[in-house]
Amino acid sequence: MPTIKEIKNQLSNKNISVQELYNVYYDKAKKSKLNSFNHLLDPEYNKENINSSQARYNEGKDLSLDGIPLGIKDLFCTKGVPTTASSKILEKFIPEYESHVTQNLLNDGSLFLGKNNCDEFAMGSSNETSFFGPVINPWKNKNNTDSQLVPGGSSGGSASAVAEGICVASIGTDTGGSIRQPASLCGVVGLKPTFGSCSRWGVVAFASSLDQAGPITNSVEDAAYLLNSISSHDPNDSTCSNHKRENFLEGVGKGFDRPITVGIPSDYLKDINSDIAEQIENTKKHLSKLNVNIVDVEFTTTDFALSTYYIIAPAEASSNLARYDGIRYGYRGCGNTLEEIYVNSRSEGFGEEVIRRILIGTYVLSAGYYDAYYRKAQKVRKLIKNDFQRIYNEVDFILTPTTPNEAFQIGEKLDPISMYMNDIFTVPTSLAGLPAISLPSGLSKNGLPLGIQLIGNYFQEKSLLQMASLLEKEFCFNE
Amino acid sequence: MSDINIKKVSYLAKLELNEEKAALYEKSLSEIIEWVDNLKKLDTEGVEPLHNITEKSQNLRNDEVLKENSTEQVLSNAPEKAQNFFRVPKVVE
Amino acid sequence: MNNDWELVIGLEVHAQLKTESKLFSSSPNQFGSDPNSNVNFIDAGMPGMLPVMNSGCIEKAIKTGFALNFQINSYSVFERKNYFYADLPQGYQISQFEYPILTEGFVEIETENEVKKIRLERAHLEQDAGKSIHDIDPKYSFIDLNRVGTPLLEIVSYPDFNSADEVISYLTSLRQILMYIDVCDGNMQEGSLRADVNLSVKKPNAELGTRCEIKNMNSFKFIRQAIEYESKRQIQVLESGGKIDQNTLLFDTSTGETRAMRSKEFAHDYRYFPDPDLLPVHIAEDQIEKVKSTIGELPQQKLLRYVNEFKLEKDIAKIIISEKAYAEFFENLISAKLIHPKLAASWLVGDIFSFIKEKDLQIVDIADKSSKIIQLLEMIEKGTISNKVAKDILIEILQKNKEPVLLVKELGLEQVSDNEELERIVEEALIGEEDNIKKFQSGSDRVLGYFVGKCLKATKGKGNPKVINDLLIKKLK
Ligand SMILES: [Mg+2]
Ligand SMILES: [Zn+2]
Repeated sequence: MPTIKEIKNQLSNKNISVQELYNVYYDKAKKSKLNSFNHLLDPEYNKENINSSQARYNEGKDLSLDGIPLGIKDLFCTKGVPTTASSKILEKFIPEYESHVTQNLLNDGSLFLGKNNCDEFAMGSSNETSFFGPVINPWKNKNNTDSQLVPGGSSGGSASAVAEGICVASIGTDTGGSIRQPASLCGVVGLKPTFGSCSRWGVVAFASSLDQAGPITNSVEDAAYLLNSISSHDPNDSTCSNHKRENFLEGVGKGFDRPITVGIPSDYLKDINSDIAEQIENTKKHLSKLNVNIVDVEFTTTDFALSTYYIIAPAEASSNLARYDGIRYGYRGCGNTLEEIYVNSRSEGFGEEVIRRILIGTYVLSAGYYDAYYRKAQKVRKLIKNDFQRIYNEVDFILTPTTPNEAFQIGEKLDPISMYMNDIFTVPTSLAGLPAISLPSGLSKNGLPLGIQLIGNYFQEKSLLQMASLLEKEFCFNE
Repeated sequence: MSDINIKKVSYLAKLELNEEKAALYEKSLSEIIEWVDNLKKLDTEGVEPLHNITEKSQNLRNDEVLKENSTEQVLSNAPEKAQNFFRVPKVVE
Repeated sequence: MNNDWELVIGLEVHAQLKTESKLFSSSPNQFGSDPNSNVNFIDAGMPGMLPVMNSGCIEKAIKTGFALNFQINSYSVFERKNYFYADLPQGYQISQFEYPILTEGFVEIETENEVKKIRLERAHLEQDAGKSIHDIDPKYSFIDLNRVGTPLLEIVSYPDFNSADEVISYLTSLRQILMYIDVCDGNMQEGSLRADVNLSVKKPNAELGTRCEIKNMNSFKFIRQAIEYESKRQIQVLESGGKIDQNTLLFDTSTGETRAMRSKEFAHDYRYFPDPDLLPVHIAEDQIEKVKSTIGELPQQKLLRYVNEFKLEKDIAKIIISEKAYAEFFENLISAKLIHPKLAASWLVGDIFSFIKEKDLQIVDIADKSSKIIQLLEMIEKGTISNKVAKDILIEILQKNKEPVLLVKELGLEQVSDNEELERIVEEALIGEEDNIKKFQSGSDRVLGYFVGKCLKATKGKGNPKVINDLLIKKLK
């Protein structure tokens, strides 16, 4: 797959026009059978943007993402373009405003190809909870080529579309692993930045203290291109950091001028299968070749991370989703009283998994249970954060698997808890708010992609991308 | 343990579950709550709950008016509206 | 009221803060606009919208903290109070719960025979809800979100009140203070100040009874009626052997009765939790000090000063300080130090207030006339015109905005203080009054009043009574 830099060279050299490039991707996306877009924007819709992008190339004044066709997870509010969160309750919703992140991308000249399918309100790890149907992973199990596999979730449409090559890159969101897990299962790169790097303004909220936007791309370098655009201070998001952002491209491809230590938590590797173990062993070899010092580390809180997450995230979600009541926008059920409208709009508008999470969240916050669950989880979250900080006194990065398994079949996992276990390696990082990247590291015995997760310290995205780019070169995954 | 009052929980969440669904969700919730109950094993005596990972202070806005949008834009997605109001069935207090 | 029973009342007062913009959005904080015209995407609870705290509200809370003797907390947290209502777009109200911005304050009120301290438990910042309008259409309610997000300071008292009088006295004083420090416009009709009344009754020395909460009243009159009705109701229930259900009540202004709101099966589980969209509020010591310097004089301090420094009578001083605008008007009259404060005060509380009341005006409506009133008062003080004439001229000033000096000249109303002329009049008045002169000389004061009146009549009211008085005494001795 061509990288952003390569495409920009082609555009600068007039080997292809912005219009032609857009048409190529648009046609591919239209023909795709993987259901990775909820909504496509035809070339006519984007005409003005295409023309002004071309004009900038003609003058040699192209912007950092000029003319690059991107997919946008259907969780970002895009002005005048349907934004559904893959839910019936927002099926007809057209925002009158543009999210901070997508506005940044537009300001940098990129073109939106459309809105990527995802799990409903980003609640899921397989993209099967979408009101618009499941997304299909472009990869096939070589020992069972008939079956259709999940792309992971919740940013499954983004990962599938990037892996299939129908958009250059996509912007997803990650709450407990929703960028990294699908990136791993689709063999692409997925970066979740530090909580507070990117504004949440205009992103349909799932769990406010965890949600973070990030890129899903074919290369580490592309991820750096996109992070440069989407990471910026926003006074409209009180939790968005106002520190000065670095140029994340600067370190990509360069060696470190200092010794680097990577910690591998032994407690993460306790029960992993042989495919996953092989990825870690393999990565260790590459790290040694790169003269990286590898040390064993051990967390004391890993066993409690999923429980903590499945209290905090649903609690916040139950409140964040209270605004979908059928009164001011979105789906309205029938009813002769206000009460009937609330109940019917919500019961008919939300899907099964969303209802489950709202119920969990309502329960853990309700009188008599708050201290035992919600407050307890907030305390454990503090311990998890402390646990990471203790380990970052000794290491520069932490290496773990991204997922406990390869992509599974659509419809295979039915019970919620085994679905939740998919995020076992990504959730602790989310709770701690740390930046983490998933890199495709190799294939399973079934010929399916697997990824490793590299976790950095707070706001160390630049060195994280640098380290990831060195490993990426070693893995040679795309060749 | 299953002291989950699914009727109360769904009432608070403004969700209506038929008998069959209520039973399914009650079972599912019980399993999940039992699963997360392992937190009880962890001693958190004296630990301050983490409010936000940022652990910083509030950024404040100046007390200024900005007119960012029109009434039409606020009402543009309304399922029912009349005379620049949102409209709902009669509310009796 | 049955003397065997004691009333125990606590108040929750919601004061709308007087700011330019809303608590968490930059929409105008304005009453009486067109429907849904002061609403932005945050107020409407649109997907992905986030609150950003208004610094002006913190400032007003700190001011209130000083004025009501609160402890101002350097750490406070916004939490979500979750419930569904048509005029609550987010499905939750952002409020403060575990860590309010103000705790443990007090207000002193005057009761019949003592000064009573009303203890305040807390005050916290929160958002107001929108309005549902039920009387436009028989089948539908209409929702206006203009009020959504208006900043409120909820001031919660301990159950320290024992009568409706005490409640009204407290509310009067609270309203006065909030208006003085420019935190609230005090406009009750527009709902800028609304009270929830928690009321129970008990026998002396008995434990607290079960209380009922009467919600959301915005008139002193109705609050008094509600307390009187509800306490009687509770006493009746208890005396007839019944028991009080803890209930939320509405006061029906048309019947003068309270009634229970439709109770809901599992109501009141608000599931408070810290709002993850907002970080805790930290208030630094220097910020508190900075705000302190902007507070100005509070009503009680003013009262003391008026009595001690200006020697005003307490009752008159009280009337003047009762509203900040009165006090400002008064202080403006005496600012140039041309007029004695007592003179200014008696004219303000007397003729000026009567005029305003009669014409249904506000003091601000005549603010532009104060320099003319000063001129008038100066002439009174110098004795250039008589009181009677001054009263007429005041009306001319207030009604027609005329120049007092010109008026006096124009109408030839200048007071006669010229000694020669008055001496002549006094001499004339004494002619043929030998009997009365004797009476005076034998000690009757009444006769002096008679002579003054006679002289004044002769001057057609323009004679200076004091000069006449002095001349008479001199002549009669
Ligand atoms: Mg109340
Ligand atoms: Zn309140």
